[in-house]
Amino acid sequence: MDTHIEFATGPIVIPAPPTTRETGARAEFHGIVRENEHGRPIAGLQYEAYIPMADRQIRRILDQLSATHPCQSVWFIHRLGWVPVGEASLYIRVHASHRQPAFGLSMDLIDLLKKDVPIWKSSSPAC
Amino acid sequence: MKILAFAAARERTGFSELEIPAEPSETPRALLARVAPSLTLDSLRAAIDYEYWDWDTPIGLATELAIIPAVSGG
Repeated sequence: MDTHIEFATGPIVIPAPPTTRETGARAEFHGIVRENEHGRPIAGLQYEAYIPMADRQIRRILDQLSATHPCQSVWFIHRLGWVPVGEASLYIRVHASHRQPAFGLSMDLIDLLKKDVPIWKSSSPAC
Repeated sequence: MKILAFAAARERTGFSELEIPAEPSETPRALLARVAPSLTLDSLRAAIDYEYWDWDTPIGLATELAIIPAVSGG
Protein backbone atom coordinates (compact mmCIF):
# COMPACT_ATOMS: atom_id res chain seq x y z
CA MET A 1 0.00 0.00 0.00
CA ASP A 2 1.43 3.38 -0.99
CA THR A 3 1.46 5.69 2.00
CA HIS A 4 1.89 9.44 2.08
CA ILE A 5 2.05 11.11 5.51
CA GLU A 6 2.45 14.85 5.85
CA PHE A 7 2.27 17.44 8.61
CA ALA A 8 1.41 20.80 7.09
CA THR A 9 1.96 24.16 8.74
CA GLY A 10 -0.39 25.98 6.36
CA PRO A 11 -3.68 25.25 4.65
CA ILE A 12 -3.91 21.69 3.38
CA VAL A 13 -3.21 21.42 -0.33
CA ILE A 14 -4.95 18.37 -1.74
CA PRO A 15 -2.61 16.45 -4.01
CA ALA A 16 -3.71 15.27 -7.43
CA PRO A 17 -5.05 11.72 -7.31
CA PRO A 18 -2.99 9.01 -8.96
CA THR A 19 -4.05 7.86 -12.38
CA THR A 20 -4.80 4.17 -12.29
CA ARG A 21 -7.49 1.95 -13.71
CA GLU A 22 -7.27 -0.41 -10.75
CA THR A 23 -9.04 1.98 -8.38
CA GLY A 24 -12.76 1.40 -7.96
CA ALA A 25 -13.25 3.54 -4.86
CA ARG A 26 -11.78 6.78 -3.62
CA ALA A 27 -12.82 7.80 -0.09
CA GLU A 28 -11.94 11.29 1.13
CA PHE A 29 -12.31 12.72 4.61
CA HIS A 30 -11.91 16.35 5.61
CA GLY A 31 -11.80 17.08 9.32
CA ILE A 32 -13.02 20.67 9.72
CA VAL A 33 -12.59 22.94 12.75
CA ARG A 34 -16.06 23.71 14.12
CA GLU A 35 -17.09 27.03 15.65
CA ASN A 36 -17.81 25.42 19.03
CA GLU A 37 -15.56 23.34 21.26
CA HIS A 38 -17.11 21.80 24.38
CA GLY A 39 -20.10 24.09 23.92
CA ARG A 40 -18.11 27.32 23.79
CA PRO A 41 -17.47 29.46 20.70
CA ILE A 42 -13.88 29.38 19.48
CA ALA A 43 -11.84 31.21 16.86
CA GLY A 44 -9.83 28.14 15.94
CA LEU A 45 -7.64 25.35 17.23
CA GLN A 46 -3.93 25.18 17.84
CA TYR A 47 -2.37 21.82 16.94
CA GLU A 48 0.96 20.35 17.95
CA ALA A 49 2.52 16.93 17.36
CA TYR A 50 5.44 14.80 18.36
CA ILE A 51 6.16 14.39 14.68
CA PRO A 52 8.64 11.49 14.53
CA MET A 53 6.50 9.38 16.84
CA ALA A 54 3.25 10.41 15.15
CA ASP A 55 4.67 9.43 11.77
CA ARG A 56 5.79 6.06 13.13
CA GLN A 57 2.45 5.40 14.83
CA ILE A 58 0.45 6.21 11.72
CA ARG A 59 2.61 3.90 9.60
CA ARG A 60 2.15 1.12 12.15
CA ILE A 61 -1.61 1.66 12.23
CA LEU A 62 -1.76 1.54 8.44
CA ASP A 63 0.31 -1.64 8.36
CA GLN A 64 -2.13 -3.26 10.79
CA LEU A 65 -5.24 -2.00 9.01
CA SER A 66 -4.03 -3.09 5.58
CA ALA A 67 -4.47 -6.71 6.68
CA THR A 68 -8.20 -6.27 7.18
CA HIS A 69 -8.79 -3.40 4.73
CA PRO A 70 -6.61 -4.03 1.66
CA CYS A 71 -6.21 -0.68 -0.08
CA GLN A 72 -3.98 0.68 -2.80
CA SER A 73 -2.90 3.99 -1.33
CA VAL A 74 -3.45 6.36 1.57
CA TRP A 75 -2.83 10.08 1.84
CA PHE A 76 -2.78 11.43 5.37
CA ILE A 77 -2.26 15.14 5.91
CA HIS A 78 -2.61 16.72 9.36
CA ARG A 79 -2.26 20.41 9.86
CA LEU A 80 -0.19 21.80 12.74
CA GLY A 81 -0.16 25.24 14.30
CA TRP A 82 -3.16 27.54 14.17
CA VAL A 83 -6.21 26.35 12.21
CA PRO A 84 -9.12 28.82 12.05
CA VAL A 85 -12.74 27.77 12.27
CA GLY A 86 -14.00 26.47 8.94
CA GLU A 87 -10.65 25.19 7.69
CA ALA A 88 -9.53 21.57 7.51
CA SER A 89 -7.17 20.21 10.14
CA LEU A 90 -7.13 16.70 8.67
CA TYR A 91 -7.34 15.21 5.21
CA ILE A 92 -7.40 11.51 4.45
CA ARG A 93 -7.76 9.97 1.01
CA VAL A 94 -7.90 6.25 0.43
CA HIS A 95 -7.89 4.41 -2.87
CA ALA A 96 -9.04 0.82 -3.09
CA SER A 97 -10.53 -1.54 -5.58
CA HIS A 98 -13.86 -1.54 -3.69
CA ARG A 99 -15.75 0.77 -1.33
CA GLN A 100 -15.72 -1.49 1.74
CA PRO A 101 -11.96 -1.40 2.40
CA ALA A 102 -11.77 2.29 1.48
CA PHE A 103 -14.47 3.26 4.00
CA GLY A 104 -13.28 0.71 6.57
CA LEU A 105 -9.68 1.85 6.56
CA SER A 106 -10.70 5.52 6.71
CA MET A 107 -12.96 4.99 9.71
CA ASP A 108 -10.52 2.79 11.63
CA LEU A 109 -7.59 5.08 10.90
CA ILE A 110 -9.43 8.07 12.38
CA ASP A 111 -10.50 6.06 15.44
CA LEU A 112 -6.93 4.94 16.13
CA LEU A 113 -5.56 8.41 15.37
CA LYS A 114 -7.69 9.76 18.19
CA LYS A 115 -6.49 7.02 20.54
CA ASP A 116 -2.76 6.61 19.98
CA VAL A 117 -1.17 9.17 17.68
CA PRO A 118 0.64 11.95 19.59
CA ILE A 119 -1.13 14.99 18.18
CA TRP A 120 -2.85 17.54 20.42
CA LYS A 121 -5.21 20.43 19.96
CA SER A 122 -6.02 23.38 22.19
CA SER A 123 -8.73 25.93 21.58
CA SER A 124 -8.73 29.71 21.61
CA PRO A 125 -11.97 31.51 22.49
CA ALA A 126 -13.70 33.59 19.86
CA CYS A 127 -13.27 37.35 20.31
CA MET B 1 18.67 11.34 28.09
CA LYS B 2 16.50 13.97 26.43
CA ILE B 3 13.09 14.39 28.09
CA LEU B 4 10.23 15.97 26.14
CA ALA B 5 6.89 17.09 27.51
CA PHE B 6 3.98 17.90 25.20
CA ALA B 7 0.69 19.81 25.52
CA ALA B 8 -0.86 19.31 28.99
CA ALA B 9 2.29 17.49 30.16
CA ARG B 10 4.33 20.59 29.34
CA GLU B 11 2.01 22.70 31.47
CA ARG B 12 2.12 20.21 34.33
CA THR B 13 5.91 19.79 34.35
CA GLY B 14 6.84 23.37 33.51
CA PHE B 15 9.29 22.34 30.78
CA SER B 16 9.13 21.27 27.16
CA GLU B 17 12.58 19.76 26.86
CA LEU B 18 15.54 19.05 29.08
CA GLU B 19 18.56 16.80 29.16
CA ILE B 20 19.75 14.71 32.10
CA PRO B 21 22.25 11.90 32.62
CA ALA B 22 20.56 8.49 32.91
CA GLU B 23 21.56 4.89 33.51
CA PRO B 24 20.18 2.01 31.36
CA SER B 25 18.65 0.45 34.46
CA GLU B 26 16.53 3.50 35.25
CA THR B 27 12.84 3.59 34.39
CA PRO B 28 10.77 6.45 32.99
CA ARG B 29 9.06 6.69 36.36
CA ALA B 30 12.40 7.11 38.14
CA LEU B 31 13.59 9.74 35.67
CA LEU B 32 10.40 11.75 36.08
CA ALA B 33 10.71 11.51 39.84
CA ARG B 34 14.06 13.23 39.51
CA VAL B 35 13.04 16.08 37.22
CA ALA B 36 9.39 16.59 38.25
CA PRO B 37 8.95 15.03 41.69
CA SER B 38 5.46 16.43 42.24
CA LEU B 39 4.12 15.17 38.90
CA THR B 40 1.44 12.50 39.08
CA LEU B 41 1.45 10.13 36.12
CA ASP B 42 -2.28 9.56 35.85
CA SER B 43 -3.52 10.12 32.28
CA LEU B 44 0.07 10.36 31.07
CA ARG B 45 1.90 7.79 28.94
CA ALA B 46 5.63 7.38 28.45
CA ALA B 47 7.32 6.96 25.08
CA ILE B 48 10.90 5.83 24.64
CA ASP B 49 12.57 6.54 21.31
CA TYR B 50 9.14 7.08 19.68
CA GLU B 51 7.46 3.95 21.11
CA TYR B 52 4.95 3.76 23.95
CA TRP B 53 6.72 2.37 26.99
CA ASP B 54 5.78 1.12 30.42
CA TRP B 55 6.61 3.57 33.20
CA ASP B 56 8.41 0.79 35.10
CA THR B 57 10.47 -0.80 32.30
CA PRO B 58 14.17 0.15 32.25
CA ILE B 59 15.12 2.53 29.45
CA GLY B 60 18.19 0.60 28.30
CA LEU B 61 20.23 2.50 25.74
CA ALA B 62 17.39 4.78 24.66
CA THR B 63 18.11 8.45 24.15
CA GLU B 64 14.68 10.13 24.28
CA LEU B 65 11.81 9.98 26.75
CA ALA B 66 8.56 11.73 25.91
CA ILE B 67 5.70 12.42 28.28
CA ILE B 68 2.49 11.89 26.34
CA PRO B 69 -0.81 13.29 27.66
CA ALA B 70 -4.16 12.20 26.22
CA VAL B 71 -4.01 12.74 22.47
CA SER B 72 -6.59 14.77 20.55
CA GLY B 73 -5.67 14.85 16.89
CA GLY B 74 -8.11 15.02 14.03
